[in-house]
Amino acid sequence: MDSGVLEASLYTVKGIAILDNDGARVLAKYYDDTYPTAKEQKEFEKNLFNKTHRANAEIIMLEGMTCVYRSSVDLYFYVMGSSNENELILVSVLNAFFDAVSMMLRKNVEKRTLMENLDGVLLAVDEIVDGGVILEADSSAIVQQVAMKMDDVPITEQTVAQVIQTAKDQLKWSLLK
Amino acid sequence: MQYLRRDKKDEEESMVNPFQNIDKGIVLQEARVFNETPINIRKCIHILTKILYLINQGTHLGTVEATEAFFAMTKLFQSKDLMLRRMVYLSIKELSTIAEDVIIVTSSLTKDMTGKEDMFRGSAIRALCKITDNTMLQGIERYLKQAIVDKNPSVSSAALVSALHLLKPNYDVVKRWVNEAQEAVSSDNNMVQYHALGLLYHIKQSDRLAVSKLIAKHSKHSLRSPYAVCMLIRIASKYLDEEPDAASSPLYDFLENCLRHKSEMVIYEAARAIVNLKNLKSKDLCPAISVLQLFLSSPRPTLRFAAVRTLNKVAMTQPMSVTTCNLDLENLITDVNRSIATLAITTLLKTGNESSVER
Repeated sequence: MDSGVLEASLYTVKGIAILDNDGARVLAKYYDDTYPTAKEQKEFEKNLFNKTHRANAEIIMLEGMTCVYRSSVDLYFYVMGSSNENELILVSVLNAFFDAVSMMLRKNVEKRTLMENLDGVLLAVDEIVDGGVILEADSSAIVQQVAMKMDDVPITEQTVAQVIQTAKDQLKWSLLK
Repeated sequence: MQYLRRDKKDEEESMVNPFQNIDKGIVLQEARVFNETPINIRKCIHILTKILYLINQGTHLGTVEATEAFFAMTKLFQSKDLMLRRMVYLSIKELSTIAEDVIIVTSSLTKDMTGKEDMFRGSAIRALCKITDNTMLQGIERYLKQAIVDKNPSVSSAALVSALHLLKPNYDVVKRWVNEAQEAVSSDNNMVQYHALGLLYHIKQSDRLAVSKLIAKHSKHSLRSPYAVCMLIRIASKYLDEEPDAASSPLYDFLENCLRHKSEMVIYEAARAIVNLKNLKSKDLCPAISVLQLFLSSPRPTLRFAAVRTLNKVAMTQPMSVTTCNLDLENLITDVNRSIATLAITTLLKTGNESSVER
């Protein structure tokens, strides 16, 4: 049995993953040595996928970890934490992750679009969790940090900050010429 | 991205994954493009993405090939492209554990972290701290201390989190940054506040007096960030657990106050902290139990799960305190989430009586 009081630590997230329709890894990152080798990681992912792909249940306990998840078209998003972790904190990370990816892919959260923009998604993961510590949990801040090329986003969908940034850039260039 | 799209059209319009059958050997050959001038930004980003994808899929890279790719990549520092630079940082971090002599990029990264471009600075700090060792840390200490109190939140957070990663191997250096971290706790930014409080606690952890001062200071002036409050609740409850008479401590009042916080995350953290304290009488648990009872009928599965799991644990030691929730628990027996249903049943087995069996 686990001890009553929780250890206070900034290390919250054990892993983050996106799996496809067949349970194959699209992207996965583990932040501690629960699963040291790629083989063990993939076995865990297989198991996780089998337990979650039909039940739309949002949360599951698996192999002593709390896993929260969400799906969209042909993708499954997961965030894993210790079984003692505050489940609502894990869900806030999952939502930030999902919303950030969704914003970057302009709501087409499906494997094909994701693969086409894999560079941005990799950067987003890097902005959300750093070595197991939640770095940022606000989706618009994450997207801003990733700074995907925003030039083909319609102006109505841009935030004020982005518009100002674009204007600044253009001004800079025109001055340089 | 344009590059990727064209690539796919050429292949055909089917659902081909552009990364499906990529071969390590070919990708590493392609990495030679990094040496060309002028730099083809799109092509380089695409190749870096491929390398990162290979590593992410668990492909084994040998030391020699990783080092070769790493050195080729250092050429890309000549480009000022934002996206490319960020991909280079990410690749540095990923390759830093495999390749040799990665400290070669130290000066480039130091230049970026102190440079004008705000978008570079946070990630440059994180990449730099990943490759740095004890002897080099002294050299960049000054910059890191400055970065902790930087007014740009992503820079400040990056420095605080990196300091935390560096803490274990370099305790004597990092503990000198307490003043800067202290200053960062009063930041307006949620995450900066959370990271700063976390770092302070990790530094002071073993000093009980320092921890008590930390709690006293921040439990009065309320923290803005819900993450920081959760952290403080955990610190406080760990401290409180070693007190003989927890219920009469002002810290217990702090926990109870948090039950009325506006963020559910904090409410739950406080409720869980209270029921887990070992020196409390069952009447002191009541406010926490009633909060958890409310969560039991939430439409969000995670809230129901969190509540029922916590109550399940309480029922093991104090079944009587949980009996008030029996009706709500019975409703969860048919929950769509099987984990919730199972937890509800096992909890009821400890608290239920004959009348509930009939229903």
